[in-house]
Amino acid sequence: MNHVTSETFDENAKAALADSQLRGALRNATSLFGKRRLAAAQGLTNWEDLRTQARAIKDDVLLHLDQYLENFVSQAEARGAKFHWARDGAEANAIICRLAAERNARSIVKSKSMTTEETHLNVALEAAGIQVIETDLGEYIIQLAEETPSHIIVPAIHKTKRQIAELFTQELGIPPTDDVAKLTSTARATLRDRFAAADIGISGVNFGVAETGTIVILENEGNIRLTTSLPRFHIAVMGIEKVVPRFADLDIFLKLLPRSGTGQRLTTYQSFITGTKQNAFDDGPEELHVVMLDNGRSRMLAHPVTRQSLACIRCGACLNACPVYQQIGGHAYGSVYPGPIGAVITPQLMGLEKTQQLPYASSLCGACREVCPVKIDIPRLLLHLRGEITEKSSPEVQQAKGRTMERFAFKMWRLMMLRPWAYNLSARVGRLFQGLVVKDGKIGRVKSFVGPLAAWTSGRDLRPLDQKSFRDKWASDQGKS
Amino acid sequence: MEERSNRNSREAIFESIRGALAASKVLDAKESELHHAAEAAAYLQPGIKHDVASLVELFKENLEAVDGHCIIVETRSDVVQALYEIINKLQGTYLKAKRIAVSDSSEIERLVNLVDVDVDTFAVAPTASEVFNFDVGITYAQAGIAETGTLVLDSSRERNRLVSLVPPVHIAILNASSIVQTLGEALATLRQAEEVSPIITLVTGPSRTADIELTLAIGVHGPQELYVIVNKNLEE
Amino acid sequence: MRVSLFVTCLVDQLWSSVGTSSVEVLRRVGCEVEFDDRQTCCAQPAFNTGYRSEARDVARRFIEIFEETKADAIVSPSGSCTAMVRHYPELFADEPDWLKRAQAIAERTHELSSFLIRVLKREDVGASWNGRLTWHDACHGLRDLNLKSEPRTLLKNVHGAEYVELDNADSCCGFGGTFSVKYPEISLAILDQKIEAIERAGVNAVVAGDASCLMQIGGRLSRHGSKVKVMHIAELLASQEMSGNVR
Repeated sequence: MNHVTSETFDENAKAALADSQLRGALRNATSLFGKRRLAAAQGLTNWEDLRTQARAIKDDVLLHLDQYLENFVSQAEARGAKFHWARDGAEANAIICRLAAERNARSIVKSKSMTTEETHLNVALEAAGIQVIETDLGEYIIQLAEETPSHIIVPAIHKTKRQIAELFTQELGIPPTDDVAKLTSTARATLRDRFAAADIGISGVNFGVAETGTIVILENEGNIRLTTSLPRFHIAVMGIEKVVPRFADLDIFLKLLPRSGTGQRLTTYQSFITGTKQNAFDDGPEELHVVMLDNGRSRMLAHPVTRQSLACIRCGACLNACPVYQQIGGHAYGSVYPGPIGAVITPQLMGLEKTQQLPYASSLCGACREVCPVKIDIPRLLLHLRGEITEKSSPEVQQAKGRTMERFAFKMWRLMMLRPWAYNLSARVGRLFQGLVVKDGKIGRVKSFVGPLAAWTSGRDLRPLDQKSFRDKWASDQGKS
Repeated sequence: MEERSNRNSREAIFESIRGALAASKVLDAKESELHHAAEAAAYLQPGIKHDVASLVELFKENLEAVDGHCIIVETRSDVVQALYEIINKLQGTYLKAKRIAVSDSSEIERLVNLVDVDVDTFAVAPTASEVFNFDVGITYAQAGIAETGTLVLDSSRERNRLVSLVPPVHIAILNASSIVQTLGEALATLRQAEEVSPIITLVTGPSRTADIELTLAIGVHGPQELYVIVNKNLEE
Repeated sequence: MRVSLFVTCLVDQLWSSVGTSSVEVLRRVGCEVEFDDRQTCCAQPAFNTGYRSEARDVARRFIEIFEETKADAIVSPSGSCTAMVRHYPELFADEPDWLKRAQAIAERTHELSSFLIRVLKREDVGASWNGRLTWHDACHGLRDLNLKSEPRTLLKNVHGAEYVELDNADSCCGFGGTFSVKYPEISLAILDQKIEAIERAGVNAVVAGDASCLMQIGGRLSRHGSKVKVMHIAELLASQEMSGNVR
C-alpha cells in the first residue's frame, strides 16, 4: 500500500493538484453532492430547527457521556449484547482478532466503517491470518486496488469507471467493460460467495440509543444487512461518542444524516439491532459483540471547543462544501478523516506532531460550518488548534520548519501594530524599497528570499503600497480626495 | 484474564471521560452556547394530516420515486392476482422467478399457494445457507411510511429478515391501514412495543449504489426489484 | 449620525481610495466622519494564524482607541475585519473586564454596506457607474456577518450599472490570509474557479466588500492580463460618473 501521511500534506496536495483526472472527478462529485444536499435541506421547512435540536441533543450527550454510555450498555447487555472496551485502536484490533480466533473464524465480511479504518483493523486481521473482505462497493474497489478511502461517504470518489474496469479485469478476470451496471453486478456476484462463507460480520454503528440499547446502521447497498444477518457472529465497532439518549432522537438524526450525506430523504436501509435474536431458530447471528472505542475521544471532552468534534455524524457534507477538499480530494490529508472535519479530528486523534499542517489547510471560509447538520463550528476549531500549535504544543512542533521565522514575524508585527510611529515607519520603508520590484503599477513574479512574497507572486500580481496612505490623505485634507 | 483487562479498559475510559468533563466545567460555564439545554425530543409531527386514501397515494408516489413498484389493490383475491402478474412477468425475464421463498407467516403461504404459476422450489423461511438459492422472497411489511415510501420490517412478527434481503426480488404485502404518514410516527409505534424488537429494518426502494462515478446502479447487494402490494382490504 | 471610520491597515496602506470612498459615501448620506489616526490593525492576521497572545495585545489597543470615540458607530469597509472585532470576546474569555469592553466595541462596529442598509436604511446612496458588474461574497462578510442581500441591494441601485449574479458567488476566492502564502498552489487552484466564473459573467468589474479578496482576485486577473477590473463596494458607491468611462 502506498500510504501517504499527514506529515507531507503540502507535497500530497501538490501531487493531487497535478492529477487532472482526479480534479475532474472531484469537481463533479462535490458539486453534485452539494446541489443534492441543498435541495434536500430545502425540502424540509424546519431544517434549521432540526440542526439546532440535533446539536442540543449531542451537547447533552457529550456533557453526560458517562451516564448515557452506562444506560446504553446496560440496556443492550440485558438484551444479550456483549461489550468490549478499547482504549485505542490496537486494543480494539486485538479484541477483534481474539474474538475471531476463539471462534475459529477464517473468513470475515465487513461493511463500511470509518472507525475500523481509523484502527486499521484489516491490517491486523490479515496479520493474524484471517481473510477479511470489504463489502461496500466503494470499499471493495479500494481494497482490490490496495488503496485507502478518499471520502467518508464515497470511498472511491477518486477513481474513474475506466480505472475500476481495468482493476476488475485484472483482479476478477472479467472482460473489459465501461458499463457501471455490469461492474456492479460483478461485485455482487463475487461478494455473494463471500457472504455465504463468512464466519463473522463486522460493521460500524451510526447511532446507539441509550434508552433501548439499540444500534442503528444506515446504508444503501444492502451489504450491511447481509453482514449483520448472515454470519453466525456480528461484531459492531462503535466510537464512544455515538450515543443518542432516546429512540425519538432518531427521528431528527435520520432526517439530517441522509440529506446531508447524499441528498436522500432516507437511505435505502436502516437496520435497528437491539441485542441478539430471541429464539435459536430465528434468522440472524448467535452473538452480538460491540467494541467500544475511545482512541482519543474522551480527551476531546475536556474543552467545549474541541468537544464539538464529537458531535460529528460522519455525513461528509463539509468535505463536499470545502474549497480545499474540492481541489485536492481526500488522500492528501493522509488520514481516514479528510476535509474540514478531518483537519480538526485527525490532529486530535493522532497528536499534533505529525499532523500540524492540517489545521492550516483551510482558508477559514466557513462553508463547512454552514452545511454541518450538527452545527460544528469547524473554523473555530481550526483556530483553536492553530492556537495550540503556536502556544501549547511540544517544542518539536513549536520549532518546526518555518514556525520560528513566523513567530518572529508576528512578534515584529505586534510591535509595529502597537505603535503608530513604527507602523508608519515600516510603511515608509516599504514604499522606499518597493521601487525595486514595482513595474507598471504592480509587483509581478518575484523570486525572493522573502518566502511569502515569492509565494504570493508565483501566480498573482501584488498590489503595491499606495504612494499616499489613507492616513496621509486624511491628514492633508480630511479624506476629501 | 480477558475479563479483567476488559474491566480495566472500561474503567480507564470512564475515568478519562469523567476527568475530561470535570476539567471542562470551568470553561463550559463561559460558553453561552451550552446554556440552551436540549429539549427532550418528541417525534416530529406532520404538518398536514392525510387520510388513509391519500396516505396510500403518497406512499406509492414516494416509493416509485426511489424505483420501487407499487400495486394498490382492494381485496385478498386482488393480492393473489397481483402476485400472479408480478411472478408471471418476472418468469419471462432473466430473473426466472421459479424459486420462491416466503416468510413464515401462514397467511403468506396460503396466498402464494393460490397463485397459479410454475414453481420449481418453494420454501418457508429458508436458512442462511439455503436462502441464496431463491429468486423471489415474499413477506409482509408490518408498516409503511407514506412520506418516504418506506417499508417497516419487524422480524419479531414473522421470519422475514433473510427472505426480504437475499433473493434478487422482494415482494412485500402491506395493509393500507398500517401506513403511517411520517418517520416519527413509525418510530413512535416501534418504541411503544413492550420491548423493541431485536431486528427492525426500514426499506426504501431497491438496493442501490452510486460508488462508481456517482452513477446510480440498482441492485448491488440487496434486492434489485422491490414490489409492494398495498391491500386496502375493502371486501368486508 | 457620527461615524468613526475603522479603515483597516490593508486599505490604509494599499488601497487608500477605498478609505476616501467610504468617507465620501458616508458624508453623502449625512454622516459626520471622524478618523483616529492612532488605529492600526484589528489583529486578524495573528488571530487566524494561531498567535493569540499577539492578537490579544493588538486587540486591546484597538478597544482602547475606539472606546474613546463619542461617535454613534464604528464603520469599516471590510467584512473580514469587522468580523474579527466581533470575535474579540473569544480572546478575553478569561478576563471579565476586557470581555465586557470587547463586547461593547463589537456591538458598535459595523461593516459599511450593512451599516448603510441595516442602520441608516439607505438602499440608494446616489451612486452612478456605467457598466456591467457582479458581486463576490467575501466569506467572513457572508458567513460571520450574514451579509447577502445588503450589498446586492446597494449594487442594484447604482444608476447606470447592470448587475449580474456571479456563478457560485458565495464560494471562497482562496485568499484565507496566511493560507494564500502557506499553500499558494491550493489557493490558486481555488482562485481559478472564481476567475473562470468571473470571466464567464462577461462583466466590466467584479465588486467585493473586502480589499483582501480583491487583492487575490485582482492579482490573478492582472497576471492573466484580463480586462475585468476589481472594485471595492465603497469605490463603486462613491462613484458618480455617468460618462460611460469604465475605470
